Amino acid sequence: MKRGFLKYLVLLVALVAALAPVYWMFTISLKSEVDHFAVPPPWFSFTPTLEHYYDAFVTRSFGQYLITSAVVAVISTLCALVLGTLAAYALARFRLPYDLDRKLSLWILSTRMFPAIVTAVPLFLMMRDLRLLDTRASLIIVYTAFNLPFVVWMMRGFFDEVPRDLEEAALVDGDSRLGALVRVVLPLVTPGLAATAVFCLIVSWNEFLFALVLTQTDASMTLPVGIAGRVTQYEIKWGVMSAAGAVAIVPILVFAMAMQKYLVRGLSLGAVKG
Amino acid sequence: MSIQFKNVRKTFGDTVVVDDLSLEIVDGEFVVLLGPSGCGKTTTLRMLAGLETVTSGDIYVEEERINDVQTQHRDLAMVFQSYALYPHMTIAENIAYPLRVRKLDKQERTRRVAEVAHMLEIEPLLDRKPRQLSGGERQRVALARAIVREPRAYLMDEPLSNLDARLRVQMRGELKRLQHQLGTTTIYVTHDQAEAMTLATRVAVMKRGQLQQFDTPLNIYNRPANRFVAEFVGSPSMNFVDGKIEEGVFANDSVQIPVQRANADQITIGIRPEHISVLTEPQNGAIPATVYVTELMGNETFVFLSVGNNRLIARAPADFRAEVESPVWLRIASEKAHFFDRQTGLSI
Repeated sequence: MKRGFLKYLVLLVALVAALAPVYWMFTISLKSEVDHFAVPPPWFSFTPTLEHYYDAFVTRSFGQYLITSAVVAVISTLCALVLGTLAAYALARFRLPYDLDRKLSLWILSTRMFPAIVTAVPLFLMMRDLRLLDTRASLIIVYTAFNLPFVVWMMRGFFDEVPRDLEEAALVDGDSRLGALVRVVLPLVTPGLAATAVFCLIVSWNEFLFALVLTQTDASMTLPVGIAGRVTQYEIKWGVMSAAGAVAIVPILVFAMAMQKYLVRGLSLGAVKG
Repeated sequence: MSIQFKNVRKTFGDTVVVDDLSLEIVDGEFVVLLGPSGCGKTTTLRMLAGLETVTSGDIYVEEERINDVQTQHRDLAMVFQSYALYPHMTIAENIAYPLRVRKLDKQERTRRVAEVAHMLEIEPLLDRKPRQLSGGERQRVALARAIVREPRAYLMDEPLSNLDARLRVQMRGELKRLQHQLGTTTIYVTHDQAEAMTLATRVAVMKRGQLQQFDTPLNIYNRPANRFVAEFVGSPSMNFVDGKIEEGVFANDSVQIPVQRANADQITIGIRPEHISVLTEPQNGAIPATVYVTELMGNETFVFLSVGNNRLIARAPADFRAEVESPVWLRIASEKAHFFDRQTGLSI
């Protein structure tokens, strides 16, 4: 009985710690500017207003940022999943000469080991030479590259869990390698695929550094950069930023909830045999 | 469909798994590859299926060299030890899979699945998923999936080894009946000599990647090519006694058996348990022995015996009774005995 109470207390603390900033953001997005700076802050009793939402999405270009973020996140996630899944399958199933499959895996992983900022300048120069600066394409390419190692390592683990017999049976039954992958293996790793997709999408959606370096105008700016841009030399638009932030949370939240049943299964896949 | 292995060799790194294997399998034959684990029998089957590459040598199917033909184009069906049913598909979808891959239209698929399901009596299972099935049922579904497409040959990798003993014997019979009915060449891998004896038209006994003997079950049993084959086939196993032959008598320290053989020094005599009769009274020429232990099997009794330093097993009638350590006398049907060179193990 007592332990149960303690458990809930810990949970409550964690929950408050996690959700307080979110609550703060939501309330600010709904408060008029005067209330932002009131001391003590009006926690619950204020007159809600949608003026910041109007300001952000109608007067300013946050609508466009939102679309850019969505396009970049979805397309880069899809690219990373397709390429990464095929690579992971190859690494999981084929033994390459000179122990290359293991070395390649480590090499792929190592690209995630150095800090992102290290690649920011080279990427900027590359994108400039390719005339891709300030385009969505540049972000899609960079995010795909950034997510690939993650997809490869996640999916490789999931593929390792699928008994080889199943694919071999599919091959003997007359199917091609790709056919066996699509018809037999992928349906079995769907939870893993879903979990991986959620993570990729979140990473791409939240990414700030590369988006800041590679984009300059409203045409290609993503939400995180757009939001941060409201901190200017002269003023900080807390209301607009909070309104945009509140909206930015929604798509990921919905997607993660839709994928929740896969998420838990995907992350624990292979933890227990059978 | 005829299948031919010509000097086939398979190595994994420095390990030779299959060594210079040559086999000719005639159309419609039921060939069993028999041997202990690690003898290369499964690798041989997988090379035929295209799931392993051939290091050197050639495999022919109906005069066509198939070394470089991809698995999916070989038109062979395989039944896996694990059954390898697709867990996310229903039984009907599992069976229809080879047809779906071949782009048969839906009507024809349904018709053929129904036909095979009827033949194997699995019609009530068609809408279920593999995990809802018992081992025996999964086995039937795996067979159905192999049969449905009418392949050039069936490859079976220890298909009965996951079943309990009773079901195994039942499925063994059904497999034999099925193969008789279909008349399709079948290659069957097992380490169970009883399966090999009952199913095969010819048995290929393998040991450490090398073919020991390829012959009918009866010849394998009655005329084993070497000591390994003699020991591996038959249950309980053949008895072996080392000794030498001098003047028509096989002898060592504790045994003397009159034989019709030329003199030889380093020799092993092999006697099947059924060729030793155990007597409870001394008799002229019988070999004295003591009972080590007896095992009553119901329809017969296995008598484990000590003769000097030699351990022998004999088959006795079910009503045979003898106390442990009691003296008995053995009569050996020496005309049925086998002789092996002690160095090479070859039958002589």
